[in-house]
Amino acid sequence: MTRLSALEKIQPHWWLKTSAGLILGLTLSYALIGTFAWYGPGGIDAAVKVQFNMWMISPIWLTILTFSYLFKTGLKAIIYLGSANIIAYAIFFFLRWY
Amino acid sequence: MRIRGDILRTYQSIHTWTGIISGLVLFIGFYAGSLTMFKTEIEYWATPPSMHLSSIPIEKFDRLIVQATSTFDKAQHGFTLNFNQKLSPMTWYQQGGGRSIHLDSTINHATLSADGELMTQLSPTNELGELIDMLHRTAGIAGKVGHEDIGVLILGIAAVLYFLALVSGVIFLLPTLVKSFFALRTNKGVNRFWLDSHNLVGIISLPFHLIIAWTVVVFAFHDIFYGGLSIIYGDKPLFEPSKKSAIEYHVKQLPPISSYIKQVNELTDGYKIDALKFSGLSSVRPMVAISIINPKEMMRSNTGDIIYMNPYTFSVQYNSASADKNDNYTPIVVSFFSLHFGSYGGNLGRWLYFVMGLLGAFIFYSGNLLWLEKRRKKQPEQSKSNRFMASLTIGICLGSILGVVSTMLSSKWLYLANMPFNKSFIICYYTVFFTALLYSFTRGAARAAIHLQQLVALACLAIPMTSLLAKLIPNLALWNSSSSSDLIIDMTAFIFSGVFFYSAQKTRQRAYEGESNSIWTLPFERIEVTAEPNL
Repeated sequence: MTRLSALEKIQPHWWLKTSAGLILGLTLSYALIGTFAWYGPGGIDAAVKVQFNMWMISPIWLTILTFSYLFKTGLKAIIYLGSANIIAYAIFFFLRWY
Repeated sequence: MRIRGDILRTYQSIHTWTGIISGLVLFIGFYAGSLTMFKTEIEYWATPPSMHLSSIPIEKFDRLIVQATSTFDKAQHGFTLNFNQKLSPMTWYQQGGGRSIHLDSTINHATLSADGELMTQLSPTNELGELIDMLHRTAGIAGKVGHEDIGVLILGIAAVLYFLALVSGVIFLLPTLVKSFFALRTNKGVNRFWLDSHNLVGIISLPFHLIIAWTVVVFAFHDIFYGGLSIIYGDKPLFEPSKKSAIEYHVKQLPPISSYIKQVNELTDGYKIDALKFSGLSSVRPMVAISIINPKEMMRSNTGDIIYMNPYTFSVQYNSASADKNDNYTPIVVSFFSLHFGSYGGNLGRWLYFVMGLLGAFIFYSGNLLWLEKRRKKQPEQSKSNRFMASLTIGICLGSILGVVSTMLSSKWLYLANMPFNKSFIICYYTVFFTALLYSFTRGAARAAIHLQQLVALACLAIPMTSLLAKLIPNLALWNSSSSSDLIIDMTAFIFSGVFFYSAQKTRQRAYEGESNSIWTLPFERIEVTAEPNL
């Protein structure tokens, strides 16, 4: 393995990455769970499904948070997670209102 | 497995800092959680057998209900029927009640005598199990914001950090995992041994820990998560509002108990009723919570599965043991609860969870010790921050254990001294805990570690000794129990007495004979016995 230069290495940027993972990670998991809630098995009215949906938010959120530190910089974390949010919500709103 | 160095260092930092911040509260949550696996047994163990009235055959329950509700107004609103023969057949709260600690709850016990006469007895509830449960949920941190316990929220945040610590720990262990997974190197110094056992326990119980981290986050923040979901759901209500019945019923109209047994047999497969908890009987929202048990199933919690229904119309509101094939989500959600509470796999499962909970506590304890070792200086005097963290770790971890063990020990003696035991439990736990913490800070971690472990060993030993005393000296008016679960609790305390004694010896050895440039070292204090000079 070749040695990475200082700029190629992962930058710490703890606060930015943590905030991105916490906030954008949470909104992203809501978008995914929301799509599942309306269009996943059983639809929106299936019994007890609301509990299942609530349970599944945190594992998705925590997984995104944990791997947010792999982004090279804090800015990249925000850009990538932000774009993922825009795509996920676009799909969700498209399905909901068209 | 090869992983880039910068990724490893990133996750090593995450592991270190999330671990050190969350470790201490999680330690309390874990070892107390182990004990809550046997909460019912501990409560039974701590209560004099005379408090429980004798059981009656199920056919006589209807007669008991009629007699009790016609004599006592409180019983007309709600009561509990215990099918468990160790407990009083019928109870209702005179005052207090519900989950969480109520120091002055009193409960009425009722049964029928051999000739069908109503017999009742009013007694305070024993909250020892609730105290341990409270420590498990809040780590002993008191206070509330709104209707949420501050301690629960703090443990929720700790669980987020704990999830990060788990994943990052695995990531930075990956390169050496295959090579040194089962390596428990004792020949490479004490620190290597601590590190190896920390890693080994962490990896083998990883699934358990991921489940616990996840479920704790959900338990702490479910209201917030539901709040977000209600936006996603839009006009759809999250939950159907509970149906208000058109008529107000009265307990006199209550159907016979045999009809509930029939209902349970129809609704589920192979379940037996453990308890029926009636509430709001004389209102427009009557409810019966039926606790049902089937050791072969994955049950919702340690008290089994639960069915909520209207006690007059049998209309079911929720059934966690639903045998309905179209109900896909109930079994999945129930399994999440079950995985946290260890309510699958019967008694063996409970013991496994007990052991895994203690191993979890060990992970946090050893993690803190490793953190201290890493920052160690090659000089006898260690840095101020290191000494602070060492005292905090020893004081909180061992102080909390000593607090619980002393409280358990106190319970029989408090009954004997006729003291208000529930208040005394709280005072006992917090006094012991804070005294131990203070001791650890004033006398130093090295000394406190030895002495606190010796005290825990002593207190653990005194628990079976108290029971033995009750057998040998009946005049002492301590109760003499012959229940097998009581015997197991005494035996377990005895075993832990040995464990803590041994570990105190080891710590002592390290203090006097181990490396001198360490936070655990003690200056040589033993006085050499020299021969008297000949005169």
